[in-house]
Amino acid sequence: MTTETKEAIYTRYGRPSELARALAQIMDPEGKPEVLEDVLVLDASYANFAGIIAASFFAEFGAEVVKIEPPTGDPARHMTPEGEEVGEVGIPFIVEGRNKRYMTLDLINSPTDRETFKKLARRAAIVIETFPAGKMDSWGIGYRQLKEENPGLIYIAITPYGQYTKKARDFSQMPDSDITAQAGSGLPANMGDIPEAGEPYNWPLKAGLWAAWYISGLSAALGGAIALVHRQNTGEGQMIDVASMDAYANMVTIPPAIGFTWEKARPRIGVLDFILYPYGHWHCKDGMVAIAAPRDHDFRALLKILDLWEIEDDWRHSSDRIPDILEQATHLHKIIQEKTVNFNADELVAKALNYSKKSARSKWRGGGVPIVMRVMTPVTALANKQWHIRKAFQEVEDPALGKKFILNTSFVKMSGSPPRIKWVATEIGKDNDYIRQKYLAEK
Amino acid sequence: MEDYFDYTAKLFDQSAIMGKPEALKGIRVLDFSHVIFGPTAARILGDYGAEVIKLELPHYGDLWRPATYWGKYWKHSNPIWHGVTKNKYFITVNLRLQKSKDLIYRMAEKADVVIENFAPGTAEAWGLGYSQMSKINPKIIFLSCSTYGQYGPMRYFPGWDLLAQAASGVLSLNGYPGTDKFFKLPDYLGDFVPGNFGALAIIMALYYRNKTGNGQYIDIAQTEAMMRMLYHFTFYSLTGRELGRVGNTDPAMIAAAIYKTKDERFVALACGTTSQFHGLLKAMGKEELAREERFIDYRESLKPENNEYLRRLVTEWLKTKTAEEVVAIGRDYGFPAAEVTDDYQICHDSWRRERGSVILFRDDMYGEIALAGPSAQLSLTPSRIKWIARPLGYHNRYVLKKFLGMSEEEIVDLERKKVIGTFDDRPGLKPPVYYNLDNDPIYNYGKEVGK
Repeated sequence: MTTETKEAIYTRYGRPSELARALAQIMDPEGKPEVLEDVLVLDASYANFAGIIAASFFAEFGAEVVKIEPPTGDPARHMTPEGEEVGEVGIPFIVEGRNKRYMTLDLINSPTDRETFKKLARRAAIVIETFPAGKMDSWGIGYRQLKEENPGLIYIAITPYGQYTKKARDFSQMPDSDITAQAGSGLPANMGDIPEAGEPYNWPLKAGLWAAWYISGLSAALGGAIALVHRQNTGEGQMIDVASMDAYANMVTIPPAIGFTWEKARPRIGVLDFILYPYGHWHCKDGMVAIAAPRDHDFRALLKILDLWEIEDDWRHSSDRIPDILEQATHLHKIIQEKTVNFNADELVAKALNYSKKSARSKWRGGGVPIVMRVMTPVTALANKQWHIRKAFQEVEDPALGKKFILNTSFVKMSGSPPRIKWVATEIGKDNDYIRQKYLAEK
Repeated sequence: MEDYFDYTAKLFDQSAIMGKPEALKGIRVLDFSHVIFGPTAARILGDYGAEVIKLELPHYGDLWRPATYWGKYWKHSNPIWHGVTKNKYFITVNLRLQKSKDLIYRMAEKADVVIENFAPGTAEAWGLGYSQMSKINPKIIFLSCSTYGQYGPMRYFPGWDLLAQAASGVLSLNGYPGTDKFFKLPDYLGDFVPGNFGALAIIMALYYRNKTGNGQYIDIAQTEAMMRMLYHFTFYSLTGRELGRVGNTDPAMIAAAIYKTKDERFVALACGTTSQFHGLLKAMGKEELAREERFIDYRESLKPENNEYLRRLVTEWLKTKTAEEVVAIGRDYGFPAAEVTDDYQICHDSWRRERGSVILFRDDMYGEIALAGPSAQLSLTPSRIKWIARPLGYHNRYVLKKFLGMSEEEIVDLERKKVIGTFDDRPGLKPPVYYNLDNDPIYNYGKEVGK
C-alpha cells in the first residue's frame, strides 16, 4: 500500500478540529509548573531497574532525583541487550537517565560515605533502595535510623520477597531480576502455546519486555506518591515495601481470584483469550492485525466485513466462541485466518472504522463496533503520526555520550502540572559538587 | 537493637491495618468508566480511602460485569470483577434523561476527581466532559482514559487493551524468533498497567492541587503507557537494529531464561552482575569459565553467541536439579532464581497470605474470597479492602441520601421516573440467590431493617 493511502486511513477521522488543536496546546509542558519541584529523592538502588524506574517517574514530575552509586558505578549500567553500550553505558540505563543527577557514595564499603548519605537523607522526602532486606539497617542507614532525624521521610524498599514475614527473612539474600520476578508473580504461567505445540513452545513464556521491573517500579512510585499526599497533609513519613514476586499478580489482580474460585490453575491456550472471542491477532497480506469484536453485535459486524456471514448461525452467541472447548475456538480462529490473509492491514482497519461509523448512525446495524489495528513493531510505532503530534517521543542528547537519540516521553499528558523530560544524563559522579554544595554545605 | 524482621513485622502488621489512617480520606471520585482501564485507576484511589462513586446504566451496567473466564460465575457474580472494582459505591443513572444529568452535576459540585473512559469526544457530547464539569467545579481533576489519546489523528479510533498492545509494539515482542507466532500479554495487562499509571497521574494532580488550589485535565492513552515500558525505541535509535522476539530469554542478563528442571517444573534464572555470574559458575562447578576471554567482561558474556553457550550449559545442569533445589542454590550462591508460579500456587502460597499479597476476605454479601493485595505495602496508610463488588444500583439510595441529602420520597420518585434503577435478572448484575436485599441496611437507605 502506498504511503498516501496509509496516511488517509490514519488521519481521515481526525481532521484537526478546534478542540483537538486546543488540547494539543494546553497539554504542552513548556513553561508550566512542576508538581514535585520541592521534593528531593535519593535513589540508592543497586543492580535493580525497578528502583531506577521508580525514581524516573518522580524525576519526570520535577523532583530532584539523585542517583547514588559507588565510584565504579551501579552494575545496572551494564544490563543491556546483547551487551550494546554507548560509551560505557547500557541502553536501558540511558532510557532511565531522564532528569537525573549522579553522586558517588560507596554505601557498601565506606562508613564515611554512609554518614554523608545519612546527612543527605535529612533533606530528602524519598529514599529508594534495593539492597537485601535489613542490609541498610545493619549499616545504620535503614528506615528505622533515618526516620529519627527526618520523621517525614518516605522510605521505599524493593526486593523479591519484601521486608517482613519468615519468607522475606529466609530469602533476604536472593537478588532481584526481571525474569525471575515475572516467573514468580504469575505472568509466564499464563502465556505460551497450547500443549500440542510441543516443546519448548508450550512452556511458560516470558514477556519480551521488562514487564516485572516496570510494574514493580510503577508500584513503588504509586505507593510513594500516595505517601507524599499523606506527608503533605500531616508531615508524617512512612516505609513502603515492594516485593517483586507480587508484581504481575497484584497489578492484574486476576490470578488469586482464579486460584480461589477454580481451585486450579489455568492451562496455556496459545493465542486465544479466556473471556473474549474474537480478541486476538491474525496474519494478513502485509503483516498482522489485532481484532477485537467480542460482543455479539461486534462479531456480526466483523463477519460482514470479512465476508463470512454464512457462518453466523454456528457462532452466534459469545458462549459459542469462548475457548472453553479449545478445538472449537481454534477452528473458528482458522476460519477467520483464511479471510484476513486476503486483506492488507490498513484495508481492514479502514473497513472496521467505516462500518463502526455507519453503525453508530443506523439503528439497523445494531451498534456493532469491530475494532482492528495493525500489529506494530516498536519501529513502525515510532513512525506513527499520532505519536509525533502527541510528542510521545522526543529527540535528546546526552552531552557526555555525545549522541542524539530517541526517547519515549512520559506516560501521561496533563494540563496543569505535566511531567516532562528536561535532560538525559548518565555520567558517574557528575553532580557530586552540586549536591554537596546545595545540601551538605555547612551553614 | 531489636531484630530487623521483628521490627518490620510490627511496622507492617496486617491485623492493624483497619486502625491506621487513610491517605485519601475525604477525596470524592466520580467514576464514569467501564471495563478495566478507568475502573482500575478509580479502584486504587478507593483502596487508599477515597470515596469512589461508580456510575452505571440501569439494568445494563458495566460491560465487564458478566464477562467471566470461560463463562463461569461464582455466586452469580464474576469472580475477577471483585478484584477490579472493590471499595466502590455502585449507583446507576439513566443518561438519556436531563434529570440524571442534573443529579450528576450536583455530585460534581462536591467531587474532587472525575474519571471516564468513553471513546474520546463522547463525554463532551453528553455534557459530561472536562469543559462542562470544570465550569461547575473549577478545582476538579478530570482523567480521560483512552487507547490513543484525546487528540491526534487517531483520537476517534476505539480500542481495548489488545489494540494498545498491538499499536505500542508490545505484542510484536512476545514469542520465539523464527516462528510465525506472537502472543499478547495475558490478563489484560494493557488495561491494568495504564490504570495504575492513571492513578499515579491523579495523585500527582491531587498533590499539586493541595499546593495551589488548581484542578486540571489529564489525558492518558493506554498505548503511550505501554510504550513507556519499552527501551526498544532507544535501542533502535542508537544501534539501528531491532531486537524483536527473544523467546524465553532476557538478552540484557547473563544466562537468563526459563528452564525445565529434573522434576518437570520450570524455573527462571538470571545473572545481572559479574558477582552473580561468578556465583552461578561456582554453583555449576565451572569457575574456570570466568577466566576465559569471552566471559571476563560482563558485556562480552552478553554477546548472543556467548550467552547462548551459557544458557545451554545451564539447561544441561538443571536437568539434574529440582526446582526447589535451584531456588535454594540461587539464594546461597547469590544469583536470582524463581519457580514459574501459577494461579493456584499464587492463591495458596502461605507467605503471600502472611504478607498480605493475597488476602482471604470475608464479605458481608458473598462470604469468603481470595483477592490480590496491593502491589506496594505502605506502613502508615496501607491499602485495605472494605467490601467487594455489589449488584447493579446497590448503593443508589444510600448515596443519594447520605451524599446529596435527598429524602426517601425524592428517591422513590426518581426510581419511579426511571432516572435511577437496578439490575435485571442476569448473573454479574444481580445479588446471589441466597441474599435478601430487603434485609440489607445499606440497600435500604442506610438504616436498620428488621431481619
